[in-house]
Amino acid sequence: MSFVSKLKEAIVCLRAGRVTLPYPARPREVPPNFRGRPIFDAAKCIGCAGCANNCPAREILVYDPCQEIRILKYLGRRCTYCGRCAEVCPEKAITMSTEYENATDVIGDVGQRLELFMSTCQRCGRCFKEPSALEQLKLKGYRFDDPENERWVFRSRAYLEGEKPVDDIQIEMD
Amino acid sequence: MEARTKLGELKEKFGGSIRRADLPGGGRMFVVVDPRAIKAVCGHIFRDMGARYVISIGADDRPFSGEYLVAHNFAFDRAKLLCGVLSYLPAERPALDSISDVVPAASWAEREFRDLVGIEPIGHRYPKRLVLPDGWPEGVHPLRKDVSWDHVPANFDGELEFKFDDPPEGCVVVPFGPFHPTLDEPAHFRLYVDGEVVRGCEYRGFMAHRGIEKLAESVLSYNDIPMMAERICGICGCVHSVTYVQAVENAAALRVPERAEFVRTIMLEVERLHSHLLWVGLACHIVGFDTLFMQSFRIREPIMWVAEKITGNRKTYGLCVVGGVRWDIGSEMAAELRGVLDKLEEEWRSVVDAVSSDRNIQKRTRGVGVASAQLVKDVGLVGPVARASGADIDCRRDHPYAAYDRVDFDVIVARDGDVWSRLVVRMNEVFESIRIIRQCLEKMPGGPIQSQIEDELPVGRMGLSSVEAPRGEAHHFVVTGENNRPRRWRVRAPTYQNLQGIPSMIKDQQLADMTIALGSIDPCFSCTDRMETIDVRSGHRRIWSGEDLRRLALGGRG
Amino acid sequence: MTMDWGRLVLAGIFNVGAVLLVAPFLEGVVRKVTARIQSRQGPPIWQPYFDLLKLLGKEDIESGDVPGMQQFAARLSFAAAVAVACMVPMGVGVPLQGAGDAILLIYLMTLCGVCTVLGGLAAGSTFSLVGMSREMMSMVALEPLFAVAILIGAIHTGSFRLETVLDGSVYAAGGVPVSGLIMLGVVALSFQAFVARVPFDISEAETEIMEGPLMEYSGPKLAMFKYARMVKLVAYSALFVALFLPWGSSLVFPLGALLTWGKVLGLVLLVTLVAATHARYRIDQAIRYFGCLLGVSMVALVLASLGM
Repeated sequence: MSFVSKLKEAIVCLRAGRVTLPYPARPREVPPNFRGRPIFDAAKCIGCAGCANNCPAREILVYDPCQEIRILKYLGRRCTYCGRCAEVCPEKAITMSTEYENATDVIGDVGQRLELFMSTCQRCGRCFKEPSALEQLKLKGYRFDDPENERWVFRSRAYLEGEKPVDDIQIEMD
Repeated sequence: MEARTKLGELKEKFGGSIRRADLPGGGRMFVVVDPRAIKAVCGHIFRDMGARYVISIGADDRPFSGEYLVAHNFAFDRAKLLCGVLSYLPAERPALDSISDVVPAASWAEREFRDLVGIEPIGHRYPKRLVLPDGWPEGVHPLRKDVSWDHVPANFDGELEFKFDDPPEGCVVVPFGPFHPTLDEPAHFRLYVDGEVVRGCEYRGFMAHRGIEKLAESVLSYNDIPMMAERICGICGCVHSVTYVQAVENAAALRVPERAEFVRTIMLEVERLHSHLLWVGLACHIVGFDTLFMQSFRIREPIMWVAEKITGNRKTYGLCVVGGVRWDIGSEMAAELRGVLDKLEEEWRSVVDAVSSDRNIQKRTRGVGVASAQLVKDVGLVGPVARASGADIDCRRDHPYAAYDRVDFDVIVARDGDVWSRLVVRMNEVFESIRIIRQCLEKMPGGPIQSQIEDELPVGRMGLSSVEAPRGEAHHFVVTGENNRPRRWRVRAPTYQNLQGIPSMIKDQQLADMTIALGSIDPCFSCTDRMETIDVRSGHRRIWSGEDLRRLALGGRG
Repeated sequence: MTMDWGRLVLAGIFNVGAVLLVAPFLEGVVRKVTARIQSRQGPPIWQPYFDLLKLLGKEDIESGDVPGMQQFAARLSFAAAVAVACMVPMGVGVPLQGAGDAILLIYLMTLCGVCTVLGGLAAGSTFSLVGMSREMMSMVALEPLFAVAILIGAIHTGSFRLETVLDGSVYAAGGVPVSGLIMLGVVALSFQAFVARVPFDISEAETEIMEGPLMEYSGPKLAMFKYARMVKLVAYSALFVALFLPWGSSLVFPLGALLTWGKVLGLVLLVTLVAATHARYRIDQAIRYFGCLLGVSMVALVLASLGM
């Protein structure tokens, strides 16, 4: 009954020995360019919102409470660790770390919030250097996502009050 | 050249009905015909000109041309030509003749555009719901431009159930799925079983819609979409992202740097390796041979590690952007890849040797799930399933893309059309993939990996792209649009066509063979179901209570 | 007489106790060896004990058509398996000698199979019924094989008493015991089916019919079925050893017992090896296979009645 082939299969098995790794008893190393949790560096960030513009999961919110301050909030809930934010950041302020053990039952643990002092006005968006024509900033001006309720509103205005808001898409998402 | 000849032939026969023809070059042809002649033209292309059916697409073009668009795509494999037969329908009455009489493979695609765009295929034999959930109200067609992507229909009837056909005489109904230990994916096959023999089946699937195509048209932008496309499938993610960017590049006539093409080829073949190894293991698990399942996965693991080293993730490579790739393969990485391939080839050779003469496995897989050559043609089966039945089709050779025209490889074809042949085809394709990767590593030129895109992409252009996924041909259709996103994106996964062949493959076979026959097409339901969803968060989700499960398990006994 | 009764009771306790204690351990050995063959670590050897304890502690849910019958089937399955264990010598002679003979043993073995059928029928779901019909089909072809072996032993030794039959009696013919050797081959080739392992675990094929007859069982009822399955592995192995490999088992107490258990362990390892290297067969293929073996065993029966 195909004895020889069974023997060959048995040899394949026995030659391999045991290959199970003792994770999580012992940690498991990942390669250096592993795309784990992104880490935002507030010291390098210039508040251009290029990352928010290019996040496919729309997990980065931007909100301008006043002319001098911009709040950037990385929610991290649906982050797919694609690394687009790190790729387009003109100041290399975002690094994809090697942390992959990100499971938590407190959703706020994975969020990062940056408060940035904007010394130039955020009206034109020229500080974001887009890598190609397909990554142009969709919205220029003061941004009004809703970081308190963690809602991506995707609306901006040229001036803080008075002017009509400029909309790309009419979306209110929760 | 070939395109002109084919076009000439069509013009000769259907001169008056052809409104316009576009020959953008590069193996693509678009022919716009009068809706009244669509059945005749498609029938002629499919039957008399020997083309292979690919997909039918419905699109709401009203904001731009005031009409609805229907495209039937065919492939002339020998002539290396992909052809779209288009037809514009008036906005007041979007209906046209169904082609499923002459092209049986179009059955699902027509039901799909009937559900989602509201274009009525007149004369379709089986106009039941395919994609939309059972309680969805009539008249709300998600892919129309006036329906927003987060529209929740007011009168969704959560209690309405799908009306299955009656089973044939003397048959018991055995429900297969959506909860089943073998198929980890949600699909429902309603088997009509007589003793231990299956007499027929009905399929109800599309339970895992995610709204990918609508999101791409409404919310995402060109370079966001590859990140979503690679999540269409849990195994062939790279394939879908490559196919999408190739379709956009085809539409916008973008040239990709050579090095990027080689990187895409290598990663596609790496994906084929891990997919085929996984499948062989799974097939053995289905027939109860867990040892080979474990060994296949053990042999496959180094590939996952090497993919993680190159791209940063084991499966979702995040590889493509429009115009290039994001990761490069340096010389150190190339050396490591070569080492992994050498070890893999040696181990896989010993497994193939052992399995080829193993009569125990052959007893379970020979003569099971047979797909005849006629079925391959009629239903449009693709991939190893088709090649195992003698059809010599492979997109890498027939519609070359990336760097496949610069490497040599053989297309593995078998004759018998049963599960054993598919096993043999897939096992041997592993060696061909290794060969391709080695050639790519040698021939890869230097240079940039992304092309510079200075301007926004032109609007309203159509692009087609066919890529040989591990399961068959993945085909994407893109119409470029405004606001940095496409107007229409249609994904046709290989399992979409292959699933339509299942009822014929399992007819008059043993019940025990149902799983292996289904497993042999390597079904990827997440690829198949990628279509429309509208946010069903707000309580319109069907929760299966214990009572429901009991009823389902008791099947026809009430 | 008192000494005899006392000895019988002690032997009975020993058998039942040993089987109940050791059966999960042997199951653990099976799982561990299978895992090593599959290049992985596998569960700890004591895992089946924990599994049984866990299942026994779960809520006893009533699902299925006839819950009362389901309870009965689970308990009967366990009881039949333990009863078989009481009738098989495991190093201290046969405990219930005098209380029954080889025919009772055959009956009890068949009862074990009937319990699975009963269980599947009581559950009533589609997949249970499919599994149950498979079990019935294979029982018809399979159970006679062991019965024929016992019968041949009885023919050779001229008695149905357990301690004579279960002492290598198949070889008791004069000269070369042809029928005995034939039956050794036949039972060895079908042994996997008796202990319900791959390639013949068809009625409980997990990947094809979702566990078949055991589908509607959980908690304590499932614990009993599982325990019965483990006990069957030990009992059938001991039966095989007693019928076909009896040499040395009648030695003085510790030695004989150890030798018997050693042989049982060896047989269990062989079962594991075969199970790990084969794919499962389809029911029609299996029936044809058992049919062939049945034919051969009929020939052996004829030879035995002719004194060979």
